[in-house]
This record gives sequence, C-alpha cells and structure tokens, in this order.
Amino acid sequence: MKVIELKNLSKIYNPETIPVRAINDVTLSVKEGEFTAIVGPSGCGKTTLLNMIGGLDISSEGSVDIGGVSINEMSESELTAFRLQHIGFVFQAYNLIPVLTAKENIEFIMVLQNIDAKTMQERSDDLLDRMGIRNQRDRRPSELSGGQQQRVAVARALAARPKFVLADEPTANLDSGSTEALLDIMAKLNKEEKITFIFSTHDQRVIDRAKRIIKLVDGEIVSDEQP
Amino acid sequence: MILSLAWKNIWRSKRRSFVVMSAVAIGVWSIIFMVSFYNSMIGAISRNSLQHDYSHIQIHHEGYLSEPGLGFQVKKPSRLLEFPSQISDIQAVSARLIVNGMVASPKTNLGIQVYAIDPADERAVTALSGFLTAGDYFTNIKRNPILLSQKLAEKLKVKVRSKVVITVQDLEANIRAGAFRVSGIFHSKSPRINNGVIYVRHQDLSKLINLPDTAFNEFAYLLKDNESLIETKQMMEAKTNNLVRTYREIAPEFDMIEEGSAISKQVITVIVMLALLFGIINTMLMAVLERTKEIGMLRAIGMFKRKIFLMIVLETFMISLVSAPVGLMTGFLTNVYFEKNGGLDLSQYAGALEQYGGDAIFYPEIAQSTYLLLMLVVMMTALIGAIYPAIKAVNLKPLEAIRKL
Repeated sequence: MKVIELKNLSKIYNPETIPVRAINDVTLSVKEGEFTAIVGPSGCGKTTLLNMIGGLDISSEGSVDIGGVSINEMSESELTAFRLQHIGFVFQAYNLIPVLTAKENIEFIMVLQNIDAKTMQERSDDLLDRMGIRNQRDRRPSELSGGQQQRVAVARALAARPKFVLADEPTANLDSGSTEALLDIMAKLNKEEKITFIFSTHDQRVIDRAKRIIKLVDGEIVSDEQP
Repeated sequence: MILSLAWKNIWRSKRRSFVVMSAVAIGVWSIIFMVSFYNSMIGAISRNSLQHDYSHIQIHHEGYLSEPGLGFQVKKPSRLLEFPSQISDIQAVSARLIVNGMVASPKTNLGIQVYAIDPADERAVTALSGFLTAGDYFTNIKRNPILLSQKLAEKLKVKVRSKVVITVQDLEANIRAGAFRVSGIFHSKSPRINNGVIYVRHQDLSKLINLPDTAFNEFAYLLKDNESLIETKQMMEAKTNNLVRTYREIAPEFDMIEEGSAISKQVITVIVMLALLFGIINTMLMAVLERTKEIGMLRAIGMFKRKIFLMIVLETFMISLVSAPVGLMTGFLTNVYFEKNGGLDLSQYAGALEQYGGDAIFYPEIAQSTYLLLMLVVMMTALIGAIYPAIKAVNLKPLEAIRKL
C-alpha cells in the first residue's frame, strides 16, 4: 500500500527573477513499511523534498499524495491538522521542548491530538520502554545526551501514530554509539511494526541500514535502489 | 498541558520574568499609593471645608444670595433651631448673623466678614474652639470678646487681649463701630476663614447694630454622616420656606475638586498601564523571538495557530496574575503602615497644603473596590500586551522558523 506518491514534483525558488529548481520533476512512491534513505550531496534538494512530503513546503509543480489524499490544495490550517494526525517528524537538532521532561515531550503531541489521559499514559510508557529511556522519563532535554534526546524525538514522532516518519539528518549530531543505538531502534520498529521511515542523510551508517536508497543530484532522482 | 507549558515558559528566563513582574508589581503599588495619597489629600480638603467652614447644609433667605447682608434674614428662625430635635440625622446647628465690615487695630485696618455666633453652637458645628493657638474661646474677656485668625492677627499686629474696632453697617446703612478685645487666636483648616472671618458673640453684634437676639441670616447644620445629605435636605425643605442648600450647592468647587481628582487618578493609571503595556509587549516579544525555532517546530508537528496564540496569552496572563497581587499586597501593607504609624508626614509642605485647605499629614484612603478594579485593569493590560507578540508567534512560518539558528 502506497503511503506517499509524488508525481512530477518540482520546487522552483525565485520563479520571477532567477529561477532555481531545487527539485525537478520528481516522481516516486513509498509503500508502507519501507525504510528509505534519500541521499545526495549537500544542496541536492533532500531536505526540500522531505519538507514538501511533510506539507511544510509547497510544491511549485506536481502533486503530493499522502495515503491517497492530495495535500497540494490544503489550506494552512488543514495542513496543520494533517501533519498532526498523519506525519511524524524527527529533526536534526532534536527540537524538543526544553521546559518539558522526556515523558511530557512525548505526550505533548498526544495532547494536541486530544487523546485521553489513560491512552496517553500507556502509549508514552510503552514508547519510553521501546526507546530504552524509561529511566530518563523525568529528565529535561538539557539533562539528556544527544542520543537520548533524539530517541525522545523519535518517540514523540511515533506517539502520534503517524502514517510515516520523516527524519531529516537524524544522526548528524550523534556519535557512533548513539547513532547505532538509534538506528537499531528504528530498524526494529520498522521490522516489527512496519513503521515507514524516510530519512534524508549523508550518514553512511544510515545508508547501510536502509532498504531503499534514493539518490538525488541537483534536484533530480538519479538512482533508486533496493540493496 | 498548554497551561503547564505556558507556566514553565515563564521561568525559562527567570531574570527577564522577574524584571517584568517587578515592573508590574511596582506599577500596581505606585497606583495604589498615588490613589491613596490623592484620596487622602482631596478627602482632607473636602472634610476640612465641610466640617470647619460650610457644614453639610445651610439655610438662608431666598434673597440672601443676590444681596448678602442684614436685609434678608431667615424667616421663622426659632423653627430652624428645632430641626436637630425633629430630624434625627442632624447632629448640630449654628445660627449666624453675618455682615461685612472692617476691623481696625492701632496699626492697620482690614476688610472682613463678621460672624456673629453662639459660641457653644458654633463649637458643636465647626469645632472652632479646637483651633485656638492662643487665648480662650470667648471666656477670658467679659465684654465684646472676639476671635480672629492667626493670619489676621499678624496683619493687624494684635495679640490676645488687644483691642480692635469693628465697623459695620446696620439695617438702615448707618455706620456702627464697636470696640472689641481679642479673646482668642485660631488657626482654622479653612483658608477662607483664616483669610477674612472674625467671630464675635451674636449678642454683642446684635446690640451694636440694634437687632433682636433672633436676627440671623445663616443657619449651618452638621449631619451625622454624609449619606443622608439629600434626604435630610428634602425633609428640611418640607419644613421651611427658606432656601435650603447642601454644601455641594453652596460650593460647586467640591464637585470640581473631586472630578479633577478622579481625572488625575485615571491619567496616572493610564500612564502607568501604558508603561506596563510596552514593558509586557517588549518582554513577550523577546520571549517569542527567542523561541522562534521551537514555535516553528510546534507548528510543524501540528500545533494549531490558535493554541500557539493561547499559549502566549496565557504566559502573559500568568505573569500579571503573579505580579499584580504582589503589587496590591505591598500597596495595602504600605497603607496599613502609614495608618498605624501616624500617617505620611509632609509638614515641610504644610504652608502650601494649607493654602488649599489640606492637611500636612496624609492618612491613605482607598476603597476596597479599587484593589479589584486595579487587578482587572492589569489583567486587561496584560491581555492587550499579549496580542502583538502572540500574533507574531502565530504568523511564523514553520519551515522558516525551524531553520533559524
């Protein structure tokens, strides 16, 4: 089942003056349960592509369908609601709320979804266990290592029960040990629970674990392999 | 959790929050202090004029206003003297015969108003005997005693037991002069009285100008409290065909002073609130700009604009909710301190204050409702101050905000 379908997607910056095609006529689809890495040199359009899939950026041409729903014509408010319900985000810089504890950070997105307290509690406890950070549940981000913070960020993304998780350079700020631990968790979630992950990355360790590697150069897909 | 998040956000920058909270608390305290100070000053001026000069209600002949003097004496004065026994809200009455005249000492002479009174009745209405700075209250001089103010005594260069001559016109416009001796020198809280009123016994003046003991042109009534003013006036009007007027009708400056005071208090409150408003806007704007990336992330993961708006408004509201009561409490305690420790002593400005009929010592006066009103005003100011930063926050584009360093 396709969770993402991009058709002839383009992103053109400065269309009126000096047009720059950050993404050029990209067509691809991602099925449920894929563990996909979008790779390529800096400035090739990886993050732009991810942002358009996540509804954070608007395409200049083409269409983005998520779970069979086109997000191109959605209003800002509809996109916000769509992101909340269907897309999980993991950012390079973790972007946790510094004044909330690890558990509260995970629960926050469920509060936004108006999930009842009992379910929220069960789900956050479960995620803390699966991420191996139960003992850090009451710590604030500043009291956690980078790897632990990124695990909280992954847990937060999963807490919303999204159709897929978009991870923009999730290991860029992590050391080797933390990277391996994080990848182990995400690979396990992908394998056991069929959670779809799409990464943009430079990190060879992530690329090595990916089941599908899409290579972008100058905004175009130059290869799409399943090693 | 948004409430909890808003609360926690306040304490991210403790110093900044403390500064804005202190500003709100100091602003609230200063308003309470200023309002209490104003109320005390205006209250003293009004009270002094009321109690030591005009009294609550006065009765004159209808023609007296157009031609003050002996020509228009009150009708049926004996009935007016009975009012205190007939109307329970009246505390005391003083019947007066007032004429314009001259007072002369060996050194100089001055134009004055002669108040011919019954000393006991006048004492009950204006507490005149309490203001004596020298001499006695009509008791030390047997024949033609007179009371005059310290100011007039200085101008006339007279002291207790000095002789002065009072010259007035009788009913037929004949000049009548009589020798009087200074019995006492007073210092009233009414500038008008200090500047030009002398007191003699009614019997002495009526003899000088050949009028009967029942000739009066003013009746001054002191009420037990101000609340029954209009009701008492109406009752008196029903019992006499003389002109009955309250102190507010006699001296419209009462209303002017009170209105002026109300406007001043409002202006001060508005100025302080404006200062607080800009302080709050500045602080919250900084808080929003510092959290641009985080707000972008919140928007990205699906937090609606209205919830971002609510969060910023709640933060501002909580800042005021914490600091305004501190200001109210310190204002209250400041007032209690001055009440229990002899008031705020501004004796060094006594001269200037007395010119306006005020007291040199201020006892803070503030209505309980002012505290509540001020709390509401601060809350409103905070909410208004939150709007611009909150709009800034909701207008952040998630993608651009996340990219900010």
